[in-house]
Amino acid sequence: MTYQELDAAGRRTGTPTPYGGRSAAPPLALPRRGPAGRRTLGALFWLGLAAAVLPWWLDTPPGSLAGPADLLTAAGRITGLVAGYLLLVQVLLMSRLGVLERLLGGERISRLHRDLGATLLVAVLAHLALLVVGYAQVEGNSVLAEVGVLLTDYQDMVSAFVAAGIMVTVGVTGVRAIRRVLPYELWYHLHLTSYLALLLGYGHQFSNGAQLYEPGPVRTGWIAAYLALVAALLWGRLLRPLHFNLRHRLEVADVVAESTDTVSIYLTGRRLNQIDLLGGQYFRWRFLNAGGWWQSHPFSVSAAANGRWLRLTVKVVGSHTADLRDLEPGTRAWAEGPFGTFTAAHRTRERALLIAGGSGIAPLRAMLEELPAGAALIYRARQPADVLLHEELEWIARSRQTSVWYVIGSRDDPGPRQVMSPPGLRRLVPDLLRRDVYLCGPPGLVDHAVQVLRAAGVRRRNIHLANFEL
Amino acid sequence: MRRALFAITGLAAGTTALVVLKGSPAATPVAAGELPAGTVAVPGESAPANRAATRPPSARPSGTPAPKASASRTPRPKPTASATTKATTSAPRRTTAAPRTTTAAPPATNRKVTGPVVTNEFGNVQVQITVSGTKIVNCVALELPSGGQSGQRSDRVDAAYSGTSGQVVQRQSASLDTVSGATYTSRSYQQSLQAALDQAR
Repeated sequence: MTYQELDAAGRRTGTPTPYGGRSAAPPLALPRRGPAGRRTLGALFWLGLAAAVLPWWLDTPPGSLAGPADLLTAAGRITGLVAGYLLLVQVLLMSRLGVLERLLGGERISRLHRDLGATLLVAVLAHLALLVVGYAQVEGNSVLAEVGVLLTDYQDMVSAFVAAGIMVTVGVTGVRAIRRVLPYELWYHLHLTSYLALLLGYGHQFSNGAQLYEPGPVRTGWIAAYLALVAALLWGRLLRPLHFNLRHRLEVADVVAESTDTVSIYLTGRRLNQIDLLGGQYFRWRFLNAGGWWQSHPFSVSAAANGRWLRLTVKVVGSHTADLRDLEPGTRAWAEGPFGTFTAAHRTRERALLIAGGSGIAPLRAMLEELPAGAALIYRARQPADVLLHEELEWIARSRQTSVWYVIGSRDDPGPRQVMSPPGLRRLVPDLLRRDVYLCGPPGLVDHAVQVLRAAGVRRRNIHLANFEL
Repeated sequence: MRRALFAITGLAAGTTALVVLKGSPAATPVAAGELPAGTVAVPGESAPANRAATRPPSARPSGTPAPKASASRTPRPKPTASATTKATTSAPRRTTAAPRTTTAAPPATNRKVTGPVVTNEFGNVQVQITVSGTKIVNCVALELPSGGQSGQRSDRVDAAYSGTSGQVVQRQSASLDTVSGATYTSRSYQQSLQAALDQAR
């Protein structure tokens, strides 16, 4: 495959037509998508939390909590309701529901999942400890004896304790320092057991929950929330990917070496012009051959939607990515997506500055075609051979009036050091503070660039990061 | 990670605030359902102020005697390690009496739980039960319709249900035989009792 074939095809112009997305209209920039959707989701979260605790508030007459046992039990109930709600939210966040992925984006979702996970762990432990101690005081038992009583005399409590154990295990292995030591597969399968926690923790909420025991709107609503979650999981994890893949039937068309350690994978399929794909978004890919069908990895698409093919540009870093070099044309691919808010549509300003490092150019290259004219790109690479998609960038620069700077060298060389500093950036891009900044590259570069940008006065909400680490 | 710390702190503070708000006896004697829902989210700075104020004269006989009010105030509910450890250290002392099943809990603490005022066309009914462990040991009607025929009916209901050997204590539940000729009062009594039982649970 040569670059000449890409020229017209790689550009998104006007509205897609059934004949490959080309039309005579001049290149258009995407309309923006504001933060309204994200804020709505935030408001829904807080409303849900209030609704989860409200039954307790309404059921408890003021002044009825007399004595430490009552107070402990009340606090245990509150933390229990909060934990139940947070568990639902945690699983929902991981349901790959299109709405969430579109409005929040994978990066923000994984961060939220981590923070809420820590809170959930504390809430579950507090719930358990408070209620055991509270009940022990009411019934005059020791704490250990009370645990025995709970396990033997109360319905569904054995499974609830197992669920708590699972959640603690999942939570502890999620701590970054511990997670780094564990093999990925172990961590992944442990995390899968949290579905089991959802199931095992279900029963005791209704057989022993003071607020949920009585039939009524509260109980019905709580059950409805569970049903909605199951529906979301089915839809996001099963039905939607199934529909997408049956409809588009993606398969590998060609694998091209871009540099010594980078390959581009071209994929074709049916009705590609009907995929609602924005430059900068990613899919989770499974290549259905003997070695790779069981693992799924996120890769950005490295060219804007063109109705004829999709392309991934992947740097070889591990055993899985090394296997990608040997993909045979014709191999079927299973894709989930497109996901992500790292797109031209999510900018808050008219113009943008893009900073790429190494293979991080892939999503930015796709996005460049959808940004309004006047964008700027700074491309960091260790050596000239590491610059990928060089010719395509030149074409885009010419057709969309994009300024492109290649900053070559190690981080400590004078050139890159000078550019990657607040005055250096301001000299290259004088209107830096009136632009959105998109960053994609190795973590070291991204962290450093964020520091520099913040020092130069760019606001956090104008900095967009592409980051799939989870 | 910083946000997780904020969230955890918020959880602890929110839980404490909710418990303190509910625990403070000076909260308005309005039925809980009539409180604005917004107060749930607001961490209560108003709670100490309410507590400091003298108890407002309530229209109906209040079920919570004064000594209990102070009891609910003293243990600042910090729903974390401090509360847990305090309880665990005191627990082993009791272990000799401990190995017993739930149903026959020792009479450790007698709690009084007051049901809500239930209004029917003859007047108000309010019931207070005394609970020891999980057992009802006494049941008192704080308020019943009075005067004339209503008063006579109330007396019959009271005689059948209340007291340490009344039907409530015998049956340990709110499903009681309706007193003939006093259906409304019987029903209201059972409603208030059921609510009290739900609270006590």
